Amino acid sequence: MSEGQSSPQSREILDMNNNQPIDGMVFKTLANAGLTWLRTNQQIVNALNVFPVPDGDTGTNMVLTMQAAYDEIKNTLYKNLGRIIHDLAHGALMGARGNSGVILSQLWRGFARSLGDKDILDGISFSNAMAEARDTAYKGVVRPVEGTILTVAKDMASAAENALQVTNDPYEMLIYIVNEAEASVERTPELLDVLKEAGVVDAGGKGLHYIFEGMLRYIQGQPLDTALISVQPLAAMQMDNAMESIEPGQDFEVVIDFRPEVHFDLQSYYDNLDQMGTSIQVGEGDGIYRMHIHVPTDKRYDPIDYTMSLGTITKVHIENLLAQMNWMGTGRPDQKLSLAPIEPGQIAVVIVAPGPGIARVFASLGAAAIIEGGQTMNPSTQEIVASFENLPTDKVIILPNNKNIFMAAKAASEVTVKQVAVIPSRTIPQGLSAMLRLVPDGNFEDVVNDMESSLDDVETGEITTATRSVEIDGVAVEQGEIIVLHNDKLILSAATLEEACLSFFKIAKAEDFELITLFYGKDVSKSLVNKITDLIRSNYPDHEVEVQDGGQPHYQFIISLE
Amino acid sequence: MSIAIVTDSTADIPRELAEQYQIKTVPAILVMDGVSMEDGAGITRQEFYKQLPYLEKPPSTATPSAGTFEKLYRQLIAEGFQKIISIHVSSLLSGIFATAQLAAKSFEDRITVIDSGQISLGLGFQAISASEGIRAGLSVESILQKVEDVRKRIRVIAMLDTLEYVRRSGRVSWARARIGALLDIKPFLEIREGRVLSLGQARTRQRGIKHLLELYKSLGTIERLGILHSNAEQDARELLSKLGTSLIHNPIIVNVTTIIGTHVGPNGLGFAAILK
Repeated sequence: MSEGQSSPQSREILDMNNNQPIDGMVFKTLANAGLTWLRTNQQIVNALNVFPVPDGDTGTNMVLTMQAAYDEIKNTLYKNLGRIIHDLAHGALMGARGNSGVILSQLWRGFARSLGDKDILDGISFSNAMAEARDTAYKGVVRPVEGTILTVAKDMASAAENALQVTNDPYEMLIYIVNEAEASVERTPELLDVLKEAGVVDAGGKGLHYIFEGMLRYIQGQPLDTALISVQPLAAMQMDNAMESIEPGQDFEVVIDFRPEVHFDLQSYYDNLDQMGTSIQVGEGDGIYRMHIHVPTDKRYDPIDYTMSLGTITKVHIENLLAQMNWMGTGRPDQKLSLAPIEPGQIAVVIVAPGPGIARVFASLGAAAIIEGGQTMNPSTQEIVASFENLPTDKVIILPNNKNIFMAAKAASEVTVKQVAVIPSRTIPQGLSAMLRLVPDGNFEDVVNDMESSLDDVETGEITTATRSVEIDGVAVEQGEIIVLHNDKLILSAATLEEACLSFFKIAKAEDFELITLFYGKDVSKSLVNKITDLIRSNYPDHEVEVQDGGQPHYQFIISLE
Repeated sequence: MSIAIVTDSTADIPRELAEQYQIKTVPAILVMDGVSMEDGAGITRQEFYKQLPYLEKPPSTATPSAGTFEKLYRQLIAEGFQKIISIHVSSLLSGIFATAQLAAKSFEDRITVIDSGQISLGLGFQAISASEGIRAGLSVESILQKVEDVRKRIRVIAMLDTLEYVRRSGRVSWARARIGALLDIKPFLEIREGRVLSLGQARTRQRGIKHLLELYKSLGTIERLGILHSNAEQDARELLSKLGTSLIHNPIIVNVTTIIGTHVGPNGLGFAAILK
């Protein structure tokens, strides 16, 4: 993650029997412990994916949010508890990413507000702060859904209140809170059908549990840097979130599939890999192991040589992460991004785009600022604010183009003095449909309404490969199968891309439309694109068909029907 | 007191109407393959639009000379007109206004040159209303006031087949900034206060026409209407029939001049309307 992160358990351990008062400095240490434990378990939280598509990585988002929160206080020396938590909450707000990150930031906000300028955390103020955190988080969500991080926060607040019956010691209360958090997380599938169908617990709630559990583990002197679960199902491994988590110097991503010899010691495997790089993940399925690691350039072959000594390597994938990072900055000069000049008083549109090709299309339609992001890369509130803060206008419209980015966009709209509207575009075609209606010199409300009402003018198809086996909305999906989302909803699985495309056109009633636009992803070969395009043209000879290099990850095709 | 009205050919006033309203028109200049032609001479509008997409060297346009204006002004005064109101295409889009102003200088206060802030029938309707003012026996001041009032109520909106010609014309800064549109889009433009504004865009012509109808309906009651097209006569007729214009007195359909067509390209469709 970021440099200079010493894990707190190396420092002296707080003695909870001594009842050292929880002032600002102690809380700072606890916050770091929560962050560290969350980061250790980040991939486990990421793996709690409901959707079989690479979903907004909740674990990563929460770690980055918590990291931003901690960064805000790590160099301060205030003893005042309220002051420290207030700064922590501010950092969380500015660094909030993804829906869970935004809710986490709201929790800290309520927590801070309740404590005011208190010097010490005692039992009653702890309980009150948990209650205020819960209330603030609920208020921040338009339609609160139970079985999510909100429910877990609510149960934790109740646990704190109940604990007051037996103790006024905040350390002891923490035990009750963490125990209830764990139990609450386990209950989430009972409250939310999508969790039950996918056979997982809520990721955001789990993340919140890890933060408080980290504090408790630190107090109890337990290690924070070794996850309790060290091997995950292969299907749950997140291989493509590299953009968010590149550590300085770790320029290469190496992924190795291998079949180990009989005496394979996972612990020593981890320990040795730890000498080579970071972001280590090991997954297992049907006897095949997959290892993922980020390493410096000069060590890019070391994991391969090492793993080869332990078994048979079946597949190796090496990727230069820095080259991937620079997707918008480089490229041929004729493909350079040219953003619309904004005159004072005009309406500027900020868009979130998952690939360089899609970014260019939005730019050609007059986008004033573009933020890289999408399904697995949720930009932070701060990134969104930064994108429009310096535009010479105070009228701003944000097109998130993904529901995982709605809340960060909304939070961004609330921390600026500018007039900002978030149009809830869930897909790229919806975002483009809204973009078409931009009237830069128009009346702000009229333009916002017009753009919003245009979201339904287009049908969206998204075609990707299932990252896990699951059944959702009555559609059974096997890992590795091609799946189709129609207007953000899983509708079918297919064996081939051709079949997936044609089935989508049938279900979306392509015959009722006149224009098909195909954005192909970064991992799709030109020949496959041509093959699919020919297939569409021969099946829909009366339609206009436009093919664009979208450059997006994960999705082989994003299709728009209008 | 007799007053004459002068405009330029970008006003798109059909010949019969110009005669009926006694409006004098100075032709702008079209340059094709290095040959300068007065607007309306040398090539028909239909033929021009047919050739336009295939021309190796894009055509260009030029303002008539100050001498042309001076000659016309002198002639009108010789005919006995005491005052001349000379009303022209937006000064932000063309040098015609400046040229007319230059020519008018030697006639002192006999000639008033007006920047219409418009093009095509957006300008044409202003010239016609000026002429109506003359018939009603208004003074020059009252006519100028009437024209200004009409100008405020004029809406000129069009859907183009492509942004390419506007971009190439270099007259519209936001269009110039856009690298050739990556998607096939039909841009919507509005001419307001002399400038060309973006009114969004449509992906397909059919949806674009629907949007054009919505934009028209949002205007409310219309006093005068002209359908504008660049060689899309059929679409223009269909649009007119869909607008439900039974109440409007004599709506006209105009295939816009090659002078404007050079900068917007073929297959454009839109309207000029005066709000009630």
